[in-house]
Amino acid sequence: MSFRTKLFLVFLITVLASVSLVAYGVTHYTQAAFEEADAQRTEALVAQFNTEYAQRGDEIVRQVKDVTDAQITLNVAIVLARPAPDFSLFVHDAAGAAQDHGLDFMEFVSWDGTLVSSAQYPARVGFKNEWVTSNKNWTDSAPFLRKEELPDGVAISLTVVRALPGGNNKDMYIIGGRRLDQNFLASLVPPAGTRVLLYRNLEPSFVASALTDSSGPFEQPDRLQPLIEQIQKQPQPLVRTMNWSSDAAAAESFHAIPLLGRNNELLAVLLLGSSRKELVLLTRHILQIAAVVAGVAILIGLLISLWVSARITRPLEELAAGAREVASGRWDTVIDLRGRDEIGQLASAFNEMTETLGAQRDQLVQTERVAAWRELARRLAHELRNPLFPLQITVENLQKARQLDPKQFLEVFNESTATLKAELANLNTIVGRFNDFSKMPAPEFARVNVNEALRNAVRLFEPQFNAVGKPPVIPEYFLTEPVPEIDADADLLHRAFQNLVLNALDAMPAGGTLTMRTAEHEGYVRIEVTDTGQGLTPEECSRLFTPYYTTKVQGTGLGLAIIQSVVSDHHGTISVSSDEGHGTTFRIELPQRQSAQPPARREETPAEKKKPPQSFTVAASD
Amino acid sequence: MRFIESRLFAATSLLWLAAQILLGSPATAARHPRYGGTLRVEVHALRVSLDPREWQAGSLESATNQKMAELVFERLVALDNYGRFQPALATEWSHDGSTKRWRFLIRAGVKFPDGTALGAEDVVAALQPLLPATEQISASGNAIVIQSSVPEPDLLEQLASGRYFVYRALASGVLVGTGPFVLGEVPMGGGQGAEQNPGSSRSQASGAATSPGGGVHLYFRANQEAWSGRPFLDGIDVTLGVPPLRAMFDVQLGKADLIELVPELVPRARQANLRVWSSEPLTMYGLRFDDTQVAASDVRLREAFSLSLDRGTMASVLLQKQAEPAAALLPQWLSGYAFLFGVDTNLERAKELRRALPANEAAGAALLRLRVDPAGDLAKLLGERVAVNARQAAIRVEVIARPVPRAGAATSAPADPPAGVHLFAWHYSSLSPRAELDSLFAAYNLTEPSAVNAASTDHEQLYARERRVLEDRRVLPLIVEAESVGLGANVRDWMPARWGEWHLDDVWLEELPETAVADSSHTGNSAVETLPRPRPVAPGAKP
Repeated sequence: MSFRTKLFLVFLITVLASVSLVAYGVTHYTQAAFEEADAQRTEALVAQFNTEYAQRGDEIVRQVKDVTDAQITLNVAIVLARPAPDFSLFVHDAAGAAQDHGLDFMEFVSWDGTLVSSAQYPARVGFKNEWVTSNKNWTDSAPFLRKEELPDGVAISLTVVRALPGGNNKDMYIIGGRRLDQNFLASLVPPAGTRVLLYRNLEPSFVASALTDSSGPFEQPDRLQPLIEQIQKQPQPLVRTMNWSSDAAAAESFHAIPLLGRNNELLAVLLLGSSRKELVLLTRHILQIAAVVAGVAILIGLLISLWVSARITRPLEELAAGAREVASGRWDTVIDLRGRDEIGQLASAFNEMTETLGAQRDQLVQTERVAAWRELARRLAHELRNPLFPLQITVENLQKARQLDPKQFLEVFNESTATLKAELANLNTIVGRFNDFSKMPAPEFARVNVNEALRNAVRLFEPQFNAVGKPPVIPEYFLTEPVPEIDADADLLHRAFQNLVLNALDAMPAGGTLTMRTAEHEGYVRIEVTDTGQGLTPEECSRLFTPYYTTKVQGTGLGLAIIQSVVSDHHGTISVSSDEGHGTTFRIELPQRQSAQPPARREETPAEKKKPPQSFTVAASD
Repeated sequence: MRFIESRLFAATSLLWLAAQILLGSPATAARHPRYGGTLRVEVHALRVSLDPREWQAGSLESATNQKMAELVFERLVALDNYGRFQPALATEWSHDGSTKRWRFLIRAGVKFPDGTALGAEDVVAALQPLLPATEQISASGNAIVIQSSVPEPDLLEQLASGRYFVYRALASGVLVGTGPFVLGEVPMGGGQGAEQNPGSSRSQASGAATSPGGGVHLYFRANQEAWSGRPFLDGIDVTLGVPPLRAMFDVQLGKADLIELVPELVPRARQANLRVWSSEPLTMYGLRFDDTQVAASDVRLREAFSLSLDRGTMASVLLQKQAEPAAALLPQWLSGYAFLFGVDTNLERAKELRRALPANEAAGAALLRLRVDPAGDLAKLLGERVAVNARQAAIRVEVIARPVPRAGAATSAPADPPAGVHLFAWHYSSLSPRAELDSLFAAYNLTEPSAVNAASTDHEQLYARERRVLEDRRVLPLIVEAESVGLGANVRDWMPARWGEWHLDDVWLEELPETAVADSSHTGNSAVETLPRPRPVAPGAKP
């Protein structure tokens, strides 16, 4: 990733973070404000219900008072105060009173608690209602909730009790009430977006059918079951948000109010539902606006980031380009950057550095050239000295042999001339080698099977693997079959493999295992030749491909140079890795196709990066 | 001067007395029956069947059916309020010593409205479908013979009551009789705005009409050829399906002359100074258990159930003393031994019994469903009271009340769960206790021990039969309720039988002054015959 990209990303992330932070802050603040408004609305709804509930109670108080004040009720009270009254006369009076005054429930109870008349449950006439007589003061008592037994079940009633003096301190009690049910809910007028549910707590556990709204049984009672059960355990107001679907706009806040009876028993739960649709839609709208604003801000930030990062990185890119030119050999590269800032100083330092490096490189090249010449001279001297010394001895022997008899002279002469011929041949060979190296032919590419070429090269040395008097060398093949054919010069390749095998055999005077591997990898074919010899030191590895460098007493130092030359001509690479004391591996990678541009070199794998330091690679170059 | 004053006073008094005699006062006129007028009757029943073959024994509907049929049809014999059998269509009767063979001599000269004479064959054709299978009827000249396989000492009581009417079935399916009235066309002006109902059923015959208000009218005109003489009334206009409260208002306002009163309105009617007449208890409300629910088959639970019932409150409070607690299946006036059955209410004992039962479904741990079979608020109220009482004894009861069918609405069987207890109503229609008991046992499949002599009319035997059935507690009587009617101020000679027969052929209507009736515009009284025809006298005719 380029520095410009990194810088751009840093700017972008900074802009994004800033915009997000601002958007989150605005959204959070807005949502909190809306939540507060919603809570206020729910509180208003609760207050409205409480007001209407109180008004309904006052209405029932008034209606019961009207019943109490009616002449017919007074007559009943007077009769009931008499000894042994006839209850049968009033069995249907409560029903008439309830109908006349619009009450759902109406009961007349005598001074001793006997139910005299009942509008809602006439079959219970004659039974005792002791809870009425247990309270001696019903005057001005507030309406309260109670469970009302009915023939077909139990209802919740908002009840008012009043006592009517009948004489002889025998009061008659009038119990009137209105049913707390869906009709009661329908009579409430909740604001738009709100609704009222009622759960009649008639059973210890949750009963789905007991939850109603103004139109009848609630459709999804199970969803509200946990809320109601929590209130059943602890009758306190609760607020919960219900998500009816995956759409947040369908959510609804429920304010649950426990409705208690006279003895603080939970009789009903009123659920005031406030739709969050408006809130959610408003929040969404604000979020959309925030998203647009943030998008524009991010876009602007993006452009600014691009401009700023480009402005900042342009000098650095010029520096990098200059560095690349220097790396490619143009040591005279000069970067034209003016400025007094750090970048300008860096450019100036770079120019000074390239100037210094150029000078040092020239000096180094000169030094290396001298050293190479010295090495060549040393090697030539060494190579030539070896045959010259026998030549000198032989010539001296010939000179001395002139004094011998002819027969002996002839014998010496023959031997000396033979030696001279041999040594001259040796000299010729040495010169030929150097000549061959200097005259490496240009490769003629054809389709070559690497495995076959490698086997042919190894096959030439088979007699030496099991030579008498020498420790055996065991060849092992790990060749990928089939390996793709490559574009190569078969003769040059054969020559390179020969040198590799020869090198390996020379490295294993005590015998060992010669391992050959081939593999195909990303457009390349890899050839590895591994010996189990003494290995090389890191210094030896670093100098191994230097021409005329050899670690062998009889070597010319041209073998690996020839291999490198062949590999280079094939646009391949050769590397060596050695574990001192355990052996050396030469690795050649050759492209499968020879084109104008060889396949891009792959990145080194981490495993390869972990290779020991004595591993050296020489990239091929023309 | 004093002489003159006394003479003047005497002359004035004589003149006033003469004027009173000549002009006649209303008080004096009221003492003499007068012909004419239409009696306006309002009943609760939505429909009436005049075909005795269709009547279901014991049903509440049969009471109204029987009252309407008495206007058109007659029986062989009749029973007067003194318990004496009177000749009706039969003038003489006799039986053999075993009371298995009875012979009735048919009255001569009795004619149907079409002028044809009543013959023994008509009686045989009418009664044969009504008589039980043990009895065979045959004609013998002008007499009929009823041959029974078992002794029938109470045959006269049977034939004098219930559905044993004599009729002739016409080819059109309409039944005609020899009674004092004929089911006829609604007269012009009678039943204002009434329209003929072309789709009238056989039971409503041709006299049925519907008014714009939806009420169905039956009009009975006087049978001029009745052998017992023309009734005083010109006709009877019966309106069906009138709600009880509205009927009471109608009679108070003079829009009706005779109405049925439900028990809860009787005290109110009396408070309103309405003329109220009540019969002997004619309808029994009771509970019967069947094996539909396992719990109902446990006799111990049934006993606990029975002991929990507060029949006294039901009769005296809920029915406002218009009923009596019932411990027997037959009322005291019919059987004579009902007082021997005690009303056994003992809540503590009921609780003990209930506690002693094992807590399983068979012993009533499950909900016991009580189905209220009769329609109406009274039955529902009784059912609810029963449930309340049972709950006091820790017996869980759920009341299932059948909805009250509306007039003209198609009835469909409600898909209620099976009930182990039924609250039923039984209307007594026979004057024979044995026949009534047989009908009741047969209707509710109440089995008796084989040793019981079911054919005996002996009161001890009847008592034994009833006691054995009641001891099993598969049927529990609750209350017996009387029938009540409200009468307008102009109805005279109202002399019903105490077992509920109205005897409207004896009734006549008095013309009241305008101020006596709030609404005197009713049409019936305008058609008064000015020259009443003397009633023909026949042997056995009603006085």
